[in-house]
Amino acid sequence: MNDISRTPKHHNLEAGFEVERIRQDFPILGREVHGKPLVYFDSGASAQKPRVVIDAMVEVMEDQYTNVHRGAHYLSQTLTDRYEGVRETIAKFINAGSESEIVITRNTTEAINLVAATYGRTFLSKGDGVVISAMEHHANIVPWQMLRDEIGIELKVAPIDDRGVLDLDAYADLLDQNTKFVSMTHCSNVLGTIVPAKDIVGLAHDRGIPVLLDGSQAIVHGAVDVQDLDADFYVFTGHKLYGPTAIGALYGKADLLAQMPPYQGGGDMIAKVTYEKTTYAEPPYRFEAGTPPIIEAIGLGAAIDYVSAIGMDAIQTHESALLAYGTERLGEMPDIKLFGTAPHKAAIFSFIQEGIHPFDTAAALDRAGIATRVGQHCAEPLMARLGVDGTVRASLAMYNTTAEIDVMIAALERARTLFR
Amino acid sequence: MSIPAEKLAQYDEYVEALDLLDEESRFEYIIDIGKRAAKTPFPEDCMDDAHLMHGCMSKVWIIHGLVDGTHQFRGQSDAIIVKGLVSMMVGSFSGLSSDELADVTLDQIRGLNLGALTMQRQVGMMAMLKHMQKLSKRTDSAADISAAAE
Ligand SMILES: Cc1ncc(COP(=O)(O)O)c(C=O)c1O
Repeated sequence: MNDISRTPKHHNLEAGFEVERIRQDFPILGREVHGKPLVYFDSGASAQKPRVVIDAMVEVMEDQYTNVHRGAHYLSQTLTDRYEGVRETIAKFINAGSESEIVITRNTTEAINLVAATYGRTFLSKGDGVVISAMEHHANIVPWQMLRDEIGIELKVAPIDDRGVLDLDAYADLLDQNTKFVSMTHCSNVLGTIVPAKDIVGLAHDRGIPVLLDGSQAIVHGAVDVQDLDADFYVFTGHKLYGPTAIGALYGKADLLAQMPPYQGGGDMIAKVTYEKTTYAEPPYRFEAGTPPIIEAIGLGAAIDYVSAIGMDAIQTHESALLAYGTERLGEMPDIKLFGTAPHKAAIFSFIQEGIHPFDTAAALDRAGIATRVGQHCAEPLMARLGVDGTVRASLAMYNTTAEIDVMIAALERARTLFR
Repeated sequence: MSIPAEKLAQYDEYVEALDLLDEESRFEYIIDIGKRAAKTPFPEDCMDDAHLMHGCMSKVWIIHGLVDGTHQFRGQSDAIIVKGLVSMMVGSFSGLSSDELADVTLDQIRGLNLGALTMQRQVGMMAMLKHMQKLSKRTDSAADISAAAE
């Protein structure tokens, strides 16, 4: 592990980025698991939280808490301002044209369900095609299947090659006259593949087809500019972006949101209510029924400020170095089969150790203090495409180091002796 | 009703062994049991959907039979650790009558003291117990073991 020849590499990789300082910002990274320093390689499932996020949420509860949008009092006005400020923060972070294009949701899942239920029910009808890819999370499969069962749309799946690269030609072929919507992941949670989002949008727009991008994974690994992508909808979830759970966002182009009916009914989403008739608020409020996740929104705002201060480009550079290093080290192990080798990908390693069940591998990693995920990663159809029951997934984030990758390699070597 | 002590000899042996070990050694102990279990044959044709226990991350198959009025189980898994765990379960609780099996408590499972094995909940030893109790009430599974013995 302390191989001298590797030491300068560590140094180069992390020079300038100061990963050790970033690690100090995440209290949990100081803890041990099974008597070993925690190596957190499960950020693709949910990322850890920096102190500033934790503090912001505590501060709201201790000092500023009340409901938003409702009270005619000082606390309510200041907290409403702060809450609405987060909408602006999100809009700036993804370069939306206006903060009114940002709908606050609970997570990606809710955002996709919202689009399927409102845009889908309004603008799609029997026989219309919706294109997804072969590497979607269940969150971008099931809502469309439910719509299929309800109104008879057709689900079309754009294939990938064995590296996990989207087949763009095959995708373009699916954009026929019947196709009316594209909903695709921007980055695969299993393979790490980052799709050519601009081309995907461009090809669809050439045929007048709107596109939703699932940015759950993509948004944490690099800068996202929804106007540059020209995405019609862009969705992400806060807890993977170093923010709290139960907060996410849906970006929608203003003209599309304006044409969509409400998702749920209740308080906050109305303009005027009588028993005879209710008129709905303008977007984004139309889609935000009920008391919103106030504390969580403040936490997400703090998380976005935090990553913005570090810089998404700097984060991407650091993670690319981790990806290159991890790919090289895993590649040196003859018994490791890596899934997802697209040229353009995030620092996600899905693999199996030949002759060892992924569950056993993951258990051995756990004993070494390494948190990974094992199984199908909410992407059963993709697993079927890869021809495996499951994989071990190590998903890295900005606070990970090459030294931690070395710890994983050593633990994999130990697993080989343990289970053989 | 309590289960006669001699019927829980195997269970007690596991408990005692595990008690003496530290966390890391417990992990290796279970792997050892799993490896040893890999050597005792489990009928291939019972590794099918009908004998699959649902809700596990790795596949777990359990077969059951009634021998002289006592329930006999055999277990199999595609993961070694889970094979170890299911072997401990079927080893501990085979040979009980219907009433006795129904009396096995979750506390007894906890008594195996595998709390340190963080995978335990996912693997679901509790679920394995429930599954074995369910199998014991089914009449159509009773032939599996004798068929397997042939
Ligand atoms: C690509 C992708 N889409 C959607 C989701 C769902 O996110 P959430 O459960 O926060 O809605 C995830 C997270 O697991 C994901 O990785």
